[in-house]
Amino acid sequence: MLSIKNLTASINGTLVLKGIDLEIKAGEIHAIMGPNGSGKSTLGKVLAGHPAYEVTGGEVLFEGRDLFSLAADERARAGLFMGFQHPIEVPGVSNASFLRLAYNKKAEAEGRDELDPLEFDDFIHEKIKLVAMREEFLDRSLNEGFSGGEKKRNEILQMAVLEPKLAILDELDSGLDIDALRVLGDAVNRLQRADRALLIITHFPRILETIQPHHVHVLSGGRILKSAGKELALELEERGYDWVLEASAAGGAR
Amino acid sequence: MTSMVVGSNLLVDLVRGPRPAEWASLREAAEGRLEGRDLPTTKDEAWKYTDLKALSARAFSPAPRATVDISAYLLPEMVGTRQVFVNGHHAPHASCASAVPAGVRFLPLSTASEACHALGTVKNGEVPELFEDLNSARFEDGAVILVPKNLKVTLPLHLLFLTRADAPVAVFPRVLVVLEPGAELELVEEHHGEGTYLSCPVVEVRIGEGAILRHERVQRESPEAFHLGTLKAEVGRHGQYHSRTLSFGARFSRQHPWVRLAEGAEGTLDGLALLDGQQVADTHSFMHHAEPNAVSHQLHKCIVDGKARAIFNGQVRVAPGAQGTDAKQQSRNLLLSETARVDTKPQLEIYADDVKCSHGAAVGQLDPEELFYLESRGLNADDARNLLTYGFAADVLQRVPVASVRRSLRQLVMARTQAASLGVLA
Repeated sequence: MLSIKNLTASINGTLVLKGIDLEIKAGEIHAIMGPNGSGKSTLGKVLAGHPAYEVTGGEVLFEGRDLFSLAADERARAGLFMGFQHPIEVPGVSNASFLRLAYNKKAEAEGRDELDPLEFDDFIHEKIKLVAMREEFLDRSLNEGFSGGEKKRNEILQMAVLEPKLAILDELDSGLDIDALRVLGDAVNRLQRADRALLIITHFPRILETIQPHHVHVLSGGRILKSAGKELALELEERGYDWVLEASAAGGAR
Repeated sequence: MTSMVVGSNLLVDLVRGPRPAEWASLREAAEGRLEGRDLPTTKDEAWKYTDLKALSARAFSPAPRATVDISAYLLPEMVGTRQVFVNGHHAPHASCASAVPAGVRFLPLSTASEACHALGTVKNGEVPELFEDLNSARFEDGAVILVPKNLKVTLPLHLLFLTRADAPVAVFPRVLVVLEPGAELELVEEHHGEGTYLSCPVVEVRIGEGAILRHERVQRESPEAFHLGTLKAEVGRHGQYHSRTLSFGARFSRQHPWVRLAEGAEGTLDGLALLDGQQVADTHSFMHHAEPNAVSHQLHKCIVDGKARAIFNGQVRVAPGAQGTDAKQQSRNLLLSETARVDTKPQLEIYADDVKCSHGAAVGQLDPEELFYLESRGLNADDARNLLTYGFAADVLQRVPVASVRRSLRQLVMARTQAASLGVLA
């Protein structure tokens, strides 16, 4: 589904991704972990098409297409989704109508029927149950005055509405209490299917107890230093990141 | 009736022109101050960015009576609580005050002689601005609103000023609002028009102890109009005055809101201006913390496109002894074209030491992070830009308490920001 080969990227002339290789297949869940400032959020933003980053080398294929030939909105309509660490607020635009707008843009691109407000109302009421969101949040302005946890809930609601092929979730756990994390983790699991894939970007291993990855990668200094199965997350929980960084510096982590 | 000319020889002609009969002493005083004055030029500091040449080149006559179909302007919450003025004259058949609660006076000035003594008494301690004096000298009519002690008026009141100018005319709407202690009121003041005209409204507000006024001011004058408005509000102890000035129309507009806060009072002066083409919108505000422990809020937002220009000068004065003052001021401006321009200047004068005063001014384009967020949800770049521009304005509109006003202004902003087709009205 996603094939990253020797990807390098910079921001303001500073190289922040220094050669990433990653293969994500349909049905798989991958976790990118790493210390703060390691470049893991950058990877998500580069894949989603953030304009501040310049891709300086390498190649990314998404469903066989050159990802970088697509603008950010085209990537979204092609089935790529990024859940933001810090979602923005848009006053005066109701959450429900924004969700319908996003849904219809994607439906139009896929040649499916668009939903009118009444049809969408039925559709969205099923979706909010999945993320245990209170109905009043549909009428409120997009993310405005939402707590950090409510914003994250809304990100997963958007994911549930857009049903992406590949979802990249950047620091989903930040700002969430344990209960909310479990609810959203379960929602993400229920959205996962054999023809979809997930890339979880996280600093803390806790979220990976609910959303269990098939592969865990440690990213630091713009490179993937170590890749293993889900047991790596447990090891990181116990031992922190330093040992991976030290082993890598010594040339033996892989 | 001789014609009155506002122009380079403005004041000579004005003083020669007809003087309405009532309020003679108010008018004489204003005429006296106008004697020998002329329109300000860009050499005057307060008019540095605002050139009145386009105004001085024109002549305006007193506005004749006219009848107008007002059905398009009716607001459902206020069908029985409205006073309508056409070309500065009261329009009795268009007005309806049947739902105004007993005890509240909501009348045209021309029939409210008991208001004589109160008119012109809200003074900001300085020489009135020229356009305020022009109004005092020549206003024909306007509204007086008196709310008695402790009465909380649940229905909003609607003041509608319409101007129909077949030839260039001048109108001078006048409003006096008096809230006795503990009273509460919501007021919607709207200015609409067609043609080329000069509108110089003056609104005087007096808020008694613990009384609360919420005041929405909608300026949708014609694209050829000149609008020079004065607002003066005196807020008594622990009283509240919350106003929002929403400017969409006029070739040229200038707003002079002035608020004086007594001890423990609260004042809000929010503003939104949407400008395009050659429009100029200038706001010179004055928030006077005259006594201790008053709180003020100002959020002034401008969206400027084309060759339009916005000016904001926000003066905040904390008087000696006004300890415990909490004053906040924000000027935020969005430039949508290379040729649009904004000049914004906070002006804080603080003569007390135990105060919290914050101010900020920002002029810029849309935030790339915000655009990226919307694009990452599948909106193309144009849609994302339009939606964010709409959201920037809607931030001010969502606090408008009267639903029909809020809705119609949102629709107006949607249309102006090309966001209407997105169908995302909150």
